[in-house]
Amino acid sequence: MALISHESSVTSPLSAPQAPGFTKPHAVRPLVSAHDVSRQWGKGSNAQLGVDRVDLNIGSGELAAIVGPSGSGKSTLGALIAGIDRPTSGSLVVDGERIDQLSTDQLARWRGRNVGIVFQDFHLLPTLSAAENVELAITLSGRSVGRSKRRAETREALSSVGLADKVRRLPNELSGGEQQRVAIARAVVNRPRLIVADEPTGSLDQAAGSTVFELLAGLRRDGTTVVFITHDRALAAEADRRIEMLDGSVSRHSAGGVDVRIPLTADTLVAGVQ
Amino acid sequence: MQFVSHLWREVRRAPARILTSVFALSLAVGAIGVFAIPTVAASSLRDSAERDAIPQIVLRTTDTADVDLDTAVSSIANVEHIEPQVLTVVATPEDRELDILGTNLTNQQIDIIGVDAGRLPTAFGELIVAEDTLRLGTTWTVDAADGAPIELRVVGIGGTTFWNGEGVAFTDRATAGALEGVDGANRLVVRTSDTGKEALRSTASEIRDVLSDGGVSTKTLPLTIPNGRHPIEADIEQISSLIGLLGIVAGLVGLVLLGSTANTLITERTREVAVMRALGGTNRAMRRRLRRLAMGIALASVVVGVPLGVLISNLIARLVLEEFVGLTPGVAVSIPVMIGSALFALVGARLVAANAARRVTNRPLAAALRDRDGSPFGRRLSERLVARFATGSILDRTAVRNGVHRRARSVAMLAQITAAVAALMIIASLATTVTDYNAALDEPVRWATSTYVPGPGLDIDASLADGDPRAEVGSTIEGEVEGWEIGVYGFVPDTQMIDRTMDAGRWFEAPGEVAVSSGFAERVGLDIGDEVTVEIASGSHQYTVVGLHPDRDRTVFIDVDELADDMNLPGMGNVVMSLDDEPPAFLSGPIDVERLAEDDDDNGTAAILLIFTAIGAVVVSVAGLAVASGLAVSVYERRHEFAALQAIGGRRRHVFRVVVAELIPIAAGGIALGLVAGYLGAAAIMESFEAANAVEIGFTFASGAIPAAGAVVVAGALLIGGLMVRRVTSRPVAVVLRGAA
Repeated sequence: MALISHESSVTSPLSAPQAPGFTKPHAVRPLVSAHDVSRQWGKGSNAQLGVDRVDLNIGSGELAAIVGPSGSGKSTLGALIAGIDRPTSGSLVVDGERIDQLSTDQLARWRGRNVGIVFQDFHLLPTLSAAENVELAITLSGRSVGRSKRRAETREALSSVGLADKVRRLPNELSGGEQQRVAIARAVVNRPRLIVADEPTGSLDQAAGSTVFELLAGLRRDGTTVVFITHDRALAAEADRRIEMLDGSVSRHSAGGVDVRIPLTADTLVAGVQ
Repeated sequence: MQFVSHLWREVRRAPARILTSVFALSLAVGAIGVFAIPTVAASSLRDSAERDAIPQIVLRTTDTADVDLDTAVSSIANVEHIEPQVLTVVATPEDRELDILGTNLTNQQIDIIGVDAGRLPTAFGELIVAEDTLRLGTTWTVDAADGAPIELRVVGIGGTTFWNGEGVAFTDRATAGALEGVDGANRLVVRTSDTGKEALRSTASEIRDVLSDGGVSTKTLPLTIPNGRHPIEADIEQISSLIGLLGIVAGLVGLVLLGSTANTLITERTREVAVMRALGGTNRAMRRRLRRLAMGIALASVVVGVPLGVLISNLIARLVLEEFVGLTPGVAVSIPVMIGSALFALVGARLVAANAARRVTNRPLAAALRDRDGSPFGRRLSERLVARFATGSILDRTAVRNGVHRRARSVAMLAQITAAVAALMIIASLATTVTDYNAALDEPVRWATSTYVPGPGLDIDASLADGDPRAEVGSTIEGEVEGWEIGVYGFVPDTQMIDRTMDAGRWFEAPGEVAVSSGFAERVGLDIGDEVTVEIASGSHQYTVVGLHPDRDRTVFIDVDELADDMNLPGMGNVVMSLDDEPPAFLSGPIDVERLAEDDDDNGTAAILLIFTAIGAVVVSVAGLAVASGLAVSVYERRHEFAALQAIGGRRRHVFRVVVAELIPIAAGGIALGLVAGYLGAAAIMESFEAANAVEIGFTFASGAIPAAGAVVVAGALLIGGLMVRRVTSRPVAVVLRGAA
């Protein structure tokens, strides 16, 4: 089975917004659960608050969009969920793990096994080919995979994003859209339960952006939770869950078009209609 | 003011890198200051030489009793003044030998004695002694030459530049004459109007001739001191040149560091400059702006480094002069060296910065605005080629490819490690060579003790040791061959006091035959069968070279009887060599026993090694700082890449692995090149030393230091690499990646 149903997602990516997990949002356990999470830089009068006492839950298999204007804290929240940043206060549970309490190396190990991250700027290692960039993610995940299987999984991941013929290309030899697809292949190759994509289409033209979004959106079919950060309201409208940020706080939170009460108090999805 | 505020902004931007560069370049500029040592030393030496009216010619003679010296030398135009003196030796109350110089104390014109405490002698038996020789007021009685007791009393502490560092006492000529049994003088010091080298040699020869006419013979080769120089100046120049070479190495290493720092600081502004260019800034204005940084670093280094150089040169000059001359010099500076070291840093900085600035501003504007981290990997053929090699783990591959991609940084680090290892090996090899040479000097020696009687002449009857199978009478006198000072050693032909194994030819057997040190012979072009002219106190003598001896000094070996004849003192010698640890019992009176096991030059060797080590430590520190800084910058530059690696699950050890994998080939290459450079450098230095001294010093490469050099490089690299990896990986990944955007 391909990691991503590339053909179907490309041909009808947005035609099936009702992902399996979305039909009964109230019944699923959350994959991501943030309680009173804040992220602050500096101290005293120089203190800058990136995220201010955020509470939220994101269910397993959901496509969740975090939206907001520049400086609203959406990327910071995404980084906290992806485990590439640490809250200064509050608790953050992802797939049952209190990631705010993990050490730097434990967090790195956890990321390698449980999260795939897609950045606006791709952040591919420039000296490695497309295949090597993907294979590196397998190596770092700590999974015990033989060389041939690793290569097979790499090929499969790249094929699923339509880059089977460009496996040996260096990032410099790929277009922006292709680089982002390599980044997606790298993110999905370990079959993580959570994908966090920060402005994945921000550096791409519309066609390339659509392709990338379709690929990400298609992942939820396999039960992968996809959190994507965007300022594109049209894309956010396609999400199962929509978290709007303003000045570091969640200003609006809706799931399936229904507003979610803030703050959340339980570790299950509790939606309250205002 | 604007320049200063601009610099301050730069320092705040990358304080560690800039301060490291300033510190290392300051040390380098300071190290170049060692070239000032000869000037600093000469300044003090010449000041005191002039103050004390140091003699230009010194002769040791037989008693001049019946010769009217002033009349005798009146025909020699170059002689300004000749002072008769008497040099003798007595035993101190502690039974140590004490040279006593009798001279005219009422009207001092040559070698004027300075009084530090007490006063000059005014009465018979009174002495003024060099510092640390005897205490003021010390009184004791010695026997005069005629056996009468003479009471000696120390009334002053002082000395002269010429005698600095020697345990010597000064008195009037009458006292010294009575002690030595000399009616006239046995030492003549001369001031001349023309102090040039050739003029002095010719004048000394003329004096020797007129003395000879009066029946007075010279006991040693005349000592000439040309151009108001102190005799030790040449030695100091030689040591300083050697140290200066190390200073140059430090300077070059410092410049490489400045180059790589300036390069990094300038290159990472590619985008910033591109934005300013896009807004209308001209390339010329941008380059000027970029160059300011390197010039600022260099200027700060000069401000710190030049005084540091003055300090280093004065400290080393003081160490050398106190150790070898017993003179504490005043502070002196060498303006040419100060200007030279400042120009070295400023011009060097200007050149390296100009190159980096040109590269940044020549980059197409669109590419500069687009590529955040400079030219992307894969543009060059070498990068595409190395990317095709998929050997090793992926982390190893990225390390190797990065080394190729950032080749300027790799080359700079390679150069810095090379310089550090080379400096380490040069210092270690010089130390090893000096130690081995000192040991090698005694290698052919078989005697256990050599015993001298006081005085410069041949005062021991050569037949004295007849019948003692474990002792021999020999001679050691000073000579000159083709302008080189040499030792002329007289032995009995079948001597057992020295190893007679030859490098070529044979030991002397017949009259007129000599053996010569093979290293010296090679350097002055002497071979077996050649005639060699040896200048000794009695004049020039010709001998035939019949053998080349492995002795490492400048020595001519000759039959002791023939040497005595040539010195006009038949049947005499001046040293008794013995195979026993104690001098032969047949010797009586004041004697000076030298035991082979006691190396009286240990202090001098230790001082030279200390100086090498001190300046070497500066060089190695500069190189070490350069390596550390280069490595730190290399890791820091790639923090975004490492953050990306961490984002996908890479742990600190993975990042460290990449850093180490990148460093291993560079360190290995640097160590290998450093060893080669260290070998060649040390060998070249010793070669130049051999050429300058016409001796075979030999060269011992300090191979024992290789593991230490390698370990220092590896441990240092791992330590700095580990610290930098810890630093760049401890920041939140998101924060680092945000900085990349």
